[in-house]
Amino acid sequence: MDPVVGIGLRAPHLAEIARQRPATGFLEIHAENHLAGSPALQAIERLRADYAFSIHAVGLSLGSAEGLDEAHLARVAALVKRLDPALVSDHLSWSSFSGRYFNDLLPLPYTEEALTVVVRNVQRLQEVLGRQISIENPSCYLGFAQSTLSEPEFLAEVASRSGCGLLLDVNNIAVTAHNLRLDARDWLTLPAGAITQYHLAGHAVNDADGEAILIDDHGSRVSDGVWALFADVVRRFGQRPTLIEWDTDVPPLAVLLDEAAQAGRLISAEGRNAARAA
Amino acid sequence: MPLALRDLQAAFAAHLIGADSAELTAEILGDAIPAMARLRVHRHHMLESLGSALAATFPTVQALVGADFFRGLARAFVGQSPPGQPVLAEYGAGFPAFIAGDDAARDLPYLPDVARLDWALNLAFHAPSGGRVTAADLAAIPADQLPSLRLALAPGAALISSSYALDRIWAASQPDAPASGTVDPDGGTHLLILRRPDDAAFVALSAAEAGFVAGLAGGLSLEEAAGRVDSGFDLSASFARLLGLGVFAAAQ
Repeated sequence: MDPVVGIGLRAPHLAEIARQRPATGFLEIHAENHLAGSPALQAIERLRADYAFSIHAVGLSLGSAEGLDEAHLARVAALVKRLDPALVSDHLSWSSFSGRYFNDLLPLPYTEEALTVVVRNVQRLQEVLGRQISIENPSCYLGFAQSTLSEPEFLAEVASRSGCGLLLDVNNIAVTAHNLRLDARDWLTLPAGAITQYHLAGHAVNDADGEAILIDDHGSRVSDGVWALFADVVRRFGQRPTLIEWDTDVPPLAVLLDEAAQAGRLISAEGRNAARAA
Repeated sequence: MPLALRDLQAAFAAHLIGADSAELTAEILGDAIPAMARLRVHRHHMLESLGSALAATFPTVQALVGADFFRGLARAFVGQSPPGQPVLAEYGAGFPAFIAGDDAARDLPYLPDVARLDWALNLAFHAPSGGRVTAADLAAIPADQLPSLRLALAPGAALISSSYALDRIWAASQPDAPASGTVDPDGGTHLLILRRPDDAAFVALSAAEAGFVAGLAGGLSLEEAAGRVDSGFDLSASFARLLGLGVFAAAQ
């Protein structure tokens, strides 16, 4: 099976993609950028004849103890109905509290209490959309003393209790493992059957009180360390549709397609290795 | 006792908009990177990413005050009025009024009106395109029914009136504008903001035309709206111009 590698469809590339229709495995859009029914959404609808779509939400706040924002949920549901994408996803995080939205993927303590909250919110989302959704492992900058589960344990439980899929962001594993002094191999214990998609992106290295902290800024090429971890992931779980994300300092389309081609070559090579080993 | 999730999220939310608490810091694991430095990553991201969103929505304001000053304005606004929902293109409705209350408006008194123009262009850009009433559509209506016709503005269409020359100020602030020195900001304008097929734009209207469009937007018939404005108003010429611009939404 040929690898399926897609790219994020961002505003600066929309006209070029509509004109040139470059070959790519699928296109991903951020739900919150396309809820107004603007001409950009009409252009995206016209691309559906040539591309599969993935809708990635960033603002559903699945970790909110107070539950989901039903008004926002209804808008996302209308977009999903309109585009009928291959996959719908959001993150294991929260971003709103008491009617305020913070535009960040904020961390959760990994406890039984948080598990109950996330499972309830994921079930509500799946009920409204009438389909399975996938949740993505976040990039973490801090951990909570009250956590009783590891992040992979927590994700596996959410998938098992809610029936949702898992979107494995390989860059986020590298960022979280570095920042929280964890071992990236811990994430290789996730249940393979739940994993629906991979994400790849670049990160920045910043200074925090004299210590290096990795920031998931989606603003550069995938790092060597993340490519190596991606090879481990593909070896462990097999191939999945894979997305190249790039959201800040968006480069020319050719650079994105080049990153996607590199991911495709890596997946193919791991596939051949697996076939030889079998 | 660790904080319950709701209380933890309340304390975290308060931190993001500037209220630190020892209760929250005690929940966070620190090491060579202390808990406060880790929390700062999130506060920094919130302020910077929402500041960037405001800069994208208010590019002319940013061009007039400069990127550094704009960042300060944006951070102050974000701390005071974070978004109420996750669609960033819909964030910033209160920014023009915030600017009006800021010291910056003392030096640049037209800045709040420029912000209103940026906001209207942003709304128009994100509005659905949809069908427009054309002259041919109206030709199909019996002449005796035209005066009582009521027309709705197309999605995104809006009027902005200012006692400053907003169109000149806007043009001189564009990235490709010639560096021709100072712009005379004086002179009232009436601008009609429109969603065009590929972008959002504005045209300048006469005071009479603006009054006519405002009347139609308020639900008056053609005859009633035309009756509100000066006797010198050339209804047929102005109406033909507005139809050509695609100002009116086609009936659903």
